[in-house]
Order: sequence, then C-alpha cells, then structure tokens
Amino acid sequence: SSWLPQGFPLRGSHWQSSLLELRTSLPVRAQPKKKKKVDVRKEQAQKDRLKKKIKKLEKAAPELIPIEDFITPPQYLDSNRVRSLPALSPEETERRVLLLKRWCLFKQKQDEAEKKAIQTLVESQQEALKELRLESEELYQAAIRRDEGLFPFERDGPKHTPPLPGYDPPEGKCVDITKVYTQ
Amino acid sequence: MSAVVLCSRNGALLKQVFALSRAATPREDHLCAAGDALLSCHRSYRSRPTHGIGRYKYLLPKETPKKKKDRVQMKEINTGTEYEYGDINIQMTSYDLCLVEHFAQYVHRLCNRLSVRVNESYAMPTRTNEVLFLEERGSKMQLDAVLTTHQRIVQISGLSSTFAPILLEIIQSNQPEGVHLLMKEHTEADFKSRLKSRPELEELLAQMT
Repeated sequence: SSWLPQGFPLRGSHWQSSLLELRTSLPVRAQPKKKKKVDVRKEQAQKDRLKKKIKKLEKAAPELIPIEDFITPPQYLDSNRVRSLPALSPEETERRVLLLKRWCLFKQKQDEAEKKAIQTLVESQQEALKELRLESEELYQAAIRRDEGLFPFERDGPKHTPPLPGYDPPEGKCVDITKVYTQ
Repeated sequence: MSAVVLCSRNGALLKQVFALSRAATPREDHLCAAGDALLSCHRSYRSRPTHGIGRYKYLLPKETPKKKKDRVQMKEINTGTEYEYGDINIQMTSYDLCLVEHFAQYVHRLCNRLSVRVNESYAMPTRTNEVLFLEERGSKMQLDAVLTTHQRIVQISGLSSTFAPILLEIIQSNQPEGVHLLMKEHTEADFKSRLKSRPELEELLAQMT
C-alpha cells in the first residue's frame, strides 16, 4: 500500500532485516528446500536398493572352493589306457608273496610295539599324577592345567640328507599361479 | 382301485428303488475294497474301521531335509577344570599328494583308535607355484618347474591336557619326509579361507558404510 507511516523504514522485501545489509538469511519458502527433500529421498532409495542387492547376494549360501586334487583330469578318462605288464615267473610271484608276508609281519610287530608304548606312557603318566596328588594338591592342579604355549605347534618333516655345506642356490623366484574362484 | 394300487405300488417301488440304490453303494464299496487292482479307488471312508489301511510312511524314520551349506561353525568352550583343548586343526602340507593323503588318513585312524573326537577331515585348495630361476649367462628367467602344494586338515576337539603331549609325540615320530606339520587352534578365519570370495558383496558392503 502506498500509505506508509513516518516511523517505518523503507525496505525492498520483508526478508531484509536491515536496509543497509544484503540478503544474508535464506528465504524460508523457496526452491532449495525441495532440492534437499529430493536428495534425501534419492539417497534413501539408493540405500534401499543397495540393501536389497546385499540381501539378495547374502541369501545365496557361501560355496567351498573346489579342490583340484579330487577332480581327475579328463586326459585320464578318455581312452582305454591299459598298462602292459611283463609276465612273472612262478618263482618270482612266490618270492614276492613271501616277501609281502614277511613285511606284513614286521609292520604288525611295529604297530603292536607302538600301541604298547602308548599304553605304558599313559599308565606311567597317570601313576605319576596320582603320586603328585598325594604329595601336594597345588602342584597337581598346576600340572593338570593345559599348556597355552603348546599351540600353535610347527615342525618340518625329516629331510633325506643333511644340508650341503657351502651350497649356493641359483637365483630365482616363486610365482603363485593358483586359480582364484569367485562366487 | 388298480390305479391306486399302482400308485401305492409305485410309491412302494420308488421307496424300494431308493433302498436298493442305498444298498448298491456298499456293494460297490465292497467291490472297491476287495483289492481289485484294475479298479483304482481312492475313496477312504473315515467312519469305517479300514480307514487308512495302506499307510506305512508314518512308520519309517523321519528324513531330515538336506542342508546345502552350514554357515555355523562349532567352537568349544576352552576353559574347564579338566582343561580340555577346543577345536584344533592338524594341518599337513606337502608337495607330494599321495604322501600327505596317506598321512592324513593315518592321523585320522590314530585319533579314532585313541578315542579322540574328530570333527572334520578335509582338504584345503591346492596351491600352484611356478619356480623360475635366473640363467647363469643371461638375464632371462627360465621356468624350472611347476609345483603343487597340497594341504590336508584333520580337526579334533576335546583333547585332554595330559594326553596332548603324547599325541604330539606319536604324530611327530611318524611324520614322513617332506610333510610339514602344523597344529593350531581353529578360528573363523580358517573357516572363511575355505570359502569362495565374493567381491560383489564386499563392494556393496563397502559402499554401504
């Protein structure tokens, strides 16, 4: 309205708090707020889509990596490969059978000795623990406890020959070419 | 009179017809239940004592539905007065397949004989290594051999603390040449290393966080 009382200062719009300052505060009802809403909704929709995808992928059970050892290569399945063995004389077969029997006996004795050794070990251990218990209860309890330093336990198998002194190995490298399976 | 008689007779006949029809159905039923293979009859009269006469599936033991893959892993409580060890993995590694396979079988049978509980006995995926060496005169790397490393794992649990060193001693004394032995506790990481990697799932999970 054109009628303005003397006391009121002239303003361009009611968003300007003072005459000299520029517009500092954002107008409350305008475009930018809609953008925020849309952003939030878009983000929410994206998140939901991601969650759905993750759920779908997680539904499928994790598969074990197939072991190549248990899959026979196809070259050994195709043709009828027959090994041609030489004919053995009866003396040879006799000798072999007797040798096998002697070997079986030897192995049986070895196995029995091992079983006996284990049994004596366990028995002597139990006896020792019994005596210890009679001696002192504290030490017995400490002995019964499990050894935390036992695991992890690592040991290399025995080698065929001792290491050669002054052996200079050729330079080279090892490349891991294992097939990586992905689900 | 004759009409009345006829009517009454008709009525009586009708009644008789109904009665006959009612009587016919049990006869048919008897025919069906007589076990005639040609007649396929699925009628089961629940009121009759022969109801459910052919049932036998309820007598068989219940078959549990096959689970495809179990994601749940077993973990025993390690503390106790007897102090038993939890799940322990005996890992045998070697370049020679037959040797490591036979040794794993031996260890499994040994544990059975000594009444140590064996949870699982499985194989880890084979690793293939290419060995290249530098030629004496020249800078080119030459292929020497392709070696495959095989690993077998026997998982035991409930090993008592007094028996553990004895078992270790036996396994060590029977360890063949070239087989590397490792005994450690079973962890979730060990279980996860057997499974296929899922890069898509990991990507999406990384995007989520």
